[in-house]
Amino acid sequence: MSAEREQAAKPGMMPSPVRAYVRGVDAMNRAVGKVAMYGVFVMMGVLLFASVSRYVFNIPFLWVIEMAQFLMAAYYLLGGAYSLQMESHVRMDVFYERWAPRTRSFWDSITAFCLVFYLIYLLRGGFSSTAYALQYGQKNYSAWAPLMWPIKMIMTVGIGLMLLQAISVFFKDLARVIGREIE
Amino acid sequence: MSYELIALLMFATMMVMLVTGQRVFGAIGFVATIFALLLWGKGAAEMPFASTITLLNWYPMLTLPMFIYMGYMLSESGIAGDLYRMFHVWTGPLPGGLAIGTTLLMVAISAMNGLSVAGMAIGASVALPELLKRNYDKVMVTGVIQAGSSLGIMIPPSVVLVLYGMIARQPVGQLWLAGVFPGLLLASLFVAYILIRCKLQPHLGPPLPLEERQQISWGERFRLLRAGIVPLVIIFSMTGLFLMGVTSLVESSAVGALMATLVAWYKGRITREVMRATLMKSLGVSCMFMWVILAALAFGAVFDGLGAVKAIEILFLDKWGLEPWQVLVLMQLTYILMGMFLDDTAMLIIVAPLYVPLIISLGFNPIWYGVLYTVTCQIAYMTPPFGYNLFLMRAMAPPEITIRDIYRSIIPFVLIMTLGLTLIIIFPQIALWLPSLYYGHIADPGL
Repeated sequence: MSAEREQAAKPGMMPSPVRAYVRGVDAMNRAVGKVAMYGVFVMMGVLLFASVSRYVFNIPFLWVIEMAQFLMAAYYLLGGAYSLQMESHVRMDVFYERWAPRTRSFWDSITAFCLVFYLIYLLRGGFSSTAYALQYGQKNYSAWAPLMWPIKMIMTVGIGLMLLQAISVFFKDLARVIGREIE
Repeated sequence: MSYELIALLMFATMMVMLVTGQRVFGAIGFVATIFALLLWGKGAAEMPFASTITLLNWYPMLTLPMFIYMGYMLSESGIAGDLYRMFHVWTGPLPGGLAIGTTLLMVAISAMNGLSVAGMAIGASVALPELLKRNYDKVMVTGVIQAGSSLGIMIPPSVVLVLYGMIARQPVGQLWLAGVFPGLLLASLFVAYILIRCKLQPHLGPPLPLEERQQISWGERFRLLRAGIVPLVIIFSMTGLFLMGVTSLVESSAVGALMATLVAWYKGRITREVMRATLMKSLGVSCMFMWVILAALAFGAVFDGLGAVKAIEILFLDKWGLEPWQVLVLMQLTYILMGMFLDDTAMLIIVAPLYVPLIISLGFNPIWYGVLYTVTCQIAYMTPPFGYNLFLMRAMAPPEITIRDIYRSIIPFVLIMTLGLTLIIIFPQIALWLPSLYYGHIADPGL
């Protein structure tokens, strides 16, 4: 503990709230991502169940297709933040690849505002769409007609986590540009 | 400002954003959002989220994580390694034999998986080190792996044809069958090229030395053939059951994923480490594709709002007075050109909705066009400066392979693929014969 406090006092470090934010958000999104990655098995299970129940037992279930779709949305939106942390996202790297790490971070920390801008509007849309679904008890247009607010809420949470992670990545890039330690 | 100018401005802004090296989904999503706000004001603020709902309703998209998971399962568990050894022994004695074996391995992987990522991962981790160790020319083998893995989106199952089928509203079963012969045609052209080139320049791909071949007994050789049972079982349970109407499209991809897991488990290859790597890489790559598609859908929605489909039709037919086939060639050329600089998945989502209605109204067969589209996609995947296969190759290749090598390696293969594309345009039956045989009606190419 005391060692940590000493480190915090040292110059050349990012301010401690920033470091706490980065540590906290990264840990949270890693945990969420490690759970979300098992979503592949759940999707597989639902789809196999659909095919067995329909073909072998001749009982088609109304809910399987939508359930699988909901799982898919949850999978990539909740896992998104962790994939951002792992740097899984493709970039056009003709120039990017030739730059020094610091130059890369410099450009990333500038264009991060564009990324955050997009995510804020995604989140805003998510909020209003979820609020609408809650208020009017919106149901999907289908035979199963599930309530839409639970999945919309999960999707909005996923986008929110993505936004938090984008800000965390921004702080890490900024730290590299101004030459300070963050971790 | 005219709509054409706005559309051009959008593309230009996107290019500038991409050059900065920001993640593709962020760059495209940002351009879509800001243009929607500038064009339509506050009412468009919820447009970015609307595309998540569009995506939510695209049921066939579920094939994407299934195939990605399956690909990594095959590569991480080492099943693909067994398969490689089989081809290695059987094709080794030919000039350039190991490169030919690698191409055949890629065909087998392509028939089990709907993306080129799986072939890239397997090619770079299994085949590449082996080929380099045996003094194969590095430029040659890099090209073989990139071109071979691109077959993943042509030979059924194919995620690109699923996406095309959704956008063009065409049956995926017919599209998949239409991809069989064009895929095999391209593979044969690759093999012919390797064979001829290595016959003329033996140092590029020496055959396996005689001593080494004699070390492997005939019994051993036939035992290795058992590795070939795995793809047959997976292909039957996945594509076979789908074409027989037992499983639906999406279910068949889940069956494939299950089969790959079961085979790996049966062979005792599933460890904690294999599972962890498979799940993590699947999550990363699935999210990468899904977020790009999400942003591209928003971009496409803005284009749609601008009336871009009509604008292109007026430009091609009325202003330039082009013949239908000229329009077709122009479309392919612009697609390859744009595919060089822009993200290929995003291009598919943005451009296909613009081109497909025009293709149908000109009277071309949309199934046949789907195949042309996929070949063009394959080329776009490989051409610098932007291509997924290039991107993946760079991430996976050993350090002795430079970017220059990677860029140079694709030249002959891009030429071969262009030849293949031309052949399919001139002889549409290459694509249409199988679906018309299976579905029992004569498909008309509309030429």
